[in-house]
Amino acid sequence: MKKRLLTLLLVTLACVTAVSAQGRRGLRLNEVMIANDSTSVVDDFGRYSAWVELYNSTFAPLEISSVFITNDRSNNTLYPVPLGDVNTEIPARQHVLFWADGEPNKGTFHLNFTFTPGEDNYLAIYDANGLSLIDEIVVPGNLLPGQSYARKADGEGGINNPEDWEVRDGSEAKYITPSSNNIIKSTNNKVDSFAENDPHGFAMAVMAMCIVFSALLVLSICFYIISRIGASVSRSRKIKALSSDDEELADHHHEQDSGEVIAAISAALSEHLDAHDRESTVLTINKVRRAYSPWSSKIYNLRELPRK
Amino acid sequence: MFSEFLTQNLQEFWHLTGFYNATWQHLVMLVVGLFFIWLAIKKNFEPMLLVPIGFGILIGNVPFNTTAGLEIGIYEEGSVLNILYNGVSAGWYPPLIFLGIGAMTDFSALIANPKLMLIGAAAQFGIFGAYMVALLLGFAPDQAGALAIIGGADGPTAIFLSSKLAPNLMGAIAVSAYSYMALVPVIQPPLMRLLTTKNERLIKMKPARAVSQNEKIIFPIVGLILTCFVVPSGLPLLGMLFFGNLLRECGVTNRLAKTASNALTDIVTILLGMTVGASTQASEFLTSETICIFLLGFMAFIIASASGVIFVKLFNLVLPKSKKINPLIGNAGVSAVPMSARISNNLGLEYDPSNYLLMHAMGPNVAGVIGSAVAAGVLLGFLA
Repeated sequence: MKKRLLTLLLVTLACVTAVSAQGRRGLRLNEVMIANDSTSVVDDFGRYSAWVELYNSTFAPLEISSVFITNDRSNNTLYPVPLGDVNTEIPARQHVLFWADGEPNKGTFHLNFTFTPGEDNYLAIYDANGLSLIDEIVVPGNLLPGQSYARKADGEGGINNPEDWEVRDGSEAKYITPSSNNIIKSTNNKVDSFAENDPHGFAMAVMAMCIVFSALLVLSICFYIISRIGASVSRSRKIKALSSDDEELADHHHEQDSGEVIAAISAALSEHLDAHDRESTVLTINKVRRAYSPWSSKIYNLRELPRK
Repeated sequence: MFSEFLTQNLQEFWHLTGFYNATWQHLVMLVVGLFFIWLAIKKNFEPMLLVPIGFGILIGNVPFNTTAGLEIGIYEEGSVLNILYNGVSAGWYPPLIFLGIGAMTDFSALIANPKLMLIGAAAQFGIFGAYMVALLLGFAPDQAGALAIIGGADGPTAIFLSSKLAPNLMGAIAVSAYSYMALVPVIQPPLMRLLTTKNERLIKMKPARAVSQNEKIIFPIVGLILTCFVVPSGLPLLGMLFFGNLLRECGVTNRLAKTASNALTDIVTILLGMTVGASTQASEFLTSETICIFLLGFMAFIIASASGVIFVKLFNLVLPKSKKINPLIGNAGVSAVPMSARISNNLGLEYDPSNYLLMHAMGPNVAGVIGSAVAAGVLLGFLA
């Protein structure tokens, strides 16, 4: 019983861990502007405030209420994303923008802290327990007003790894993208790559056939091994069950006596000896008594017809 | 005044009718729908599929005023047909059909003779041969992948993949796939005769060994893990296929297996067939691309059937004489379960009335189902 309980607990723990890993772990800090100099986006009050873009890197909607956003290393729970706002669910592979204006009473997406331009600014998001770090970054102090610090590719790269981030100045090559993808894709890269590198489809045919063959070959080998193991197990069981004499007999029977052989021998004996079984032809009929029980009574299983 | 009011309303109503909005394209599609129904009822070609598809074509091609906002068209958001069509466009009908196929299929023939799985793999060459030809004809790689899957001769797989890779071609691909599946008895036998000698057709295969219950239970579990570890993108189809098979074989979920293989499959087949048929609206369907798709589908089907037969002939070169495989079962590598296996059996009996190939052909036939799902997963992984 204890063993079962322990197994159940372990399975539950594994499931919870897996679910948690698939959920908010996919939330990413994606782009930050420390000083908004009126060249970027305005908030819903028409003001130019610093902003933080979060990105849902998973392929499922992500509810971020009760996640914590902070710029203070000593206080993980500085700004809890409020409950009860439908906009806190980020669709798959989409973004949400928070305003770092220090005025949380303006709405769900207004943080209760601001950044300090000209200094390194720490920024982190923590899970609802306030302990599990989801993502963090240090925004360099040399960021000029109107410049943003963004991931090179949306949601990609590790936690607090400056190599995955770059400074964007709003130029043609380094555009600033609040609430939008950091890399704007107009086509499917995979399809483009195949169109360019494999115009005749030969590489695709070779690769795909190799994969299909290997998948079914592995399955085939696996079942060949399983059938061999099964045969040897059943054989060893038979050997154990039979005595040595019986075993020889069984082997002999197994090798030679198929149903057809037995039928042929029987027919030959019958013809030769003219031997027939004599049957008693006594038929016995016993009355079967069943004790009455209301459970087996038909009247209790049928509904009465309604009276008119 | 009153007569003016009456005339105006009747005129507006006339503009809403099918008679006013009909075009020659609608009429062509209605004839196509009627042809499918005729094929199903009179010729008994895959009636379970062609009746819903044929009637769906009629439903989808009743002309109406598309600008009136009546919410009746299959592509109009919120319409009843659009809600039913979600199972096709979002791709969740095909996995449900696979659940039913798994619950109906006995994999014993395959487990007893695992090397037959390779025939199912070889037949998938039809898919990739068609992919190459589609590229030559100027289709983009994702569209080429979607229409090449017709070579797998597996309707649900074709719908699943095309809904992901080329939703605009899905109607034509689905109708093409199901049409060729219905025409298996016409297409395959001449090809099989052409590719085999009389001696090869007379090869008698040893009866398959009995398969234990444990092996039947292990098969879907191991099958799922091995195939999906190689091709995770095939998970929706393969997962449901093997799940359905486990329900059937485990012996403790007979009710679930019965529901999956009967009621559920019937319901989804009705909805799938009808909505796929209705998705062939004349404006979307009657294009030059559709003709290309039908031609490519036919070619893919021929290549797939031929590659299965040729593979068996090559395989026989390395097999000992006592274990030779009759190449007539090679065509069954295209899934089309169980029609193509029946073709193998009938052709075998034609040349030797005591040579029953049905159970042997069922091996590559069900391997073809697995193979085409794996191939779809590969295309999805590479191109989605």
